[in-house]
Amino acid sequence: MGPTDSLAHYAITIISKDRPGIVADTTEVLYRLGCNIEDSSCTMLGGDFAMILIVTHEKPFAKSRLAEEFKALQERTGLAVHLRTLHEDELIHSQEEGELCLISVYGSDQPGIVYRVTRALADRGVNITDLNTRLIGTKSEPVYVLMLEAILPQGMTVEDTAAMLESLRSELKVEIGVRAITPVSL
Amino acid sequence: MPEQKILLYPHPLLKRPARSVERIDDEIRALVTDLIDTMHAGPGSVGVAAPQIGVSLRVCVVDVSASRHGKDNNHGLLVMINPVILAGHGAAVMREGCMSVPDYTGDVQRFTDITVGFTTEDGDPRELQASGFEAVAIQHEMDHLDGMLFLDRIVSLKTGLFRRKSYK
Repeated sequence: MGPTDSLAHYAITIISKDRPGIVADTTEVLYRLGCNIEDSSCTMLGGDFAMILIVTHEKPFAKSRLAEEFKALQERTGLAVHLRTLHEDELIHSQEEGELCLISVYGSDQPGIVYRVTRALADRGVNITDLNTRLIGTKSEPVYVLMLEAILPQGMTVEDTAAMLESLRSELKVEIGVRAITPVSL
Repeated sequence: MPEQKILLYPHPLLKRPARSVERIDDEIRALVTDLIDTMHAGPGSVGVAAPQIGVSLRVCVVDVSASRHGKDNNHGLLVMINPVILAGHGAAVMREGCMSVPDYTGDVQRFTDITVGFTTEDGDPRELQASGFEAVAIQHEMDHLDGMLFLDRIVSLKTGLFRRKSYK
């Protein structure tokens, strides 16, 4: 694994009632302990703020130090933290080569939209890299919106993907759009 | 000289506005050759600006004719000295990446149609209209001449749809 051999990796997830200062409180703990944030994604979900971080620390490092610091933070601020050690085989990312596409699905709210769409994608080996859902519209006419980004397997086109999802469009009575968003290198 | 090494951010030249070319001499012609060679050497590269190879002068090359997005709508190889955008219309978002900022991409909004004026390698003034991917590539390379990276222009982390609820 080369240089990662000397680093301990942890996955941290935090969900807290939203307020200013959640990121600052969390990263202050990490900074004081000498942890590096390698990768992170944080966003508002409903009235909560959710954080997912991959952090590293030079070995030797005791996970209990992180746990203790976060326990203290939790007692002080109410932030709930979940901590997990990442193992070596989780650190290797596969370099996918297929087309990157954005799939939008929206329509009257009903159970199973996310499940049906993602099952169809999974069965064809489509790898989701990002996904957001939101309930919009009015109480009497709720509308569900699902937006996801996914890497198609080698050889599969945007048109193939749209065709594959076509039956779900009529079955679930939702709009489904598939657009290529493969980055252009300049 | 053949292909040159592409400078990576945080090299300071990438954030410094480049100087105008005052006279097209052998030095500038050699620079143009280096830019073209460097562009052709980069896998899938459709443009290089002089600051990216360590020369702080307002020169860039663009050629989208071999690319998937630009093959049906392009002016072939463009060598642009002191280029200026004279007019820009329309707006479209594309996810851009840059050889000087590897392993990162972001959604950037650009004009869809531009009129660009520049001096050719032979010293002649030229004006042309570009659209689509060629227009995006020209704007991206011209940004390098002003010390701008696509990171300075990323428009959103997510679609606007997902932000509205928080305004209520």
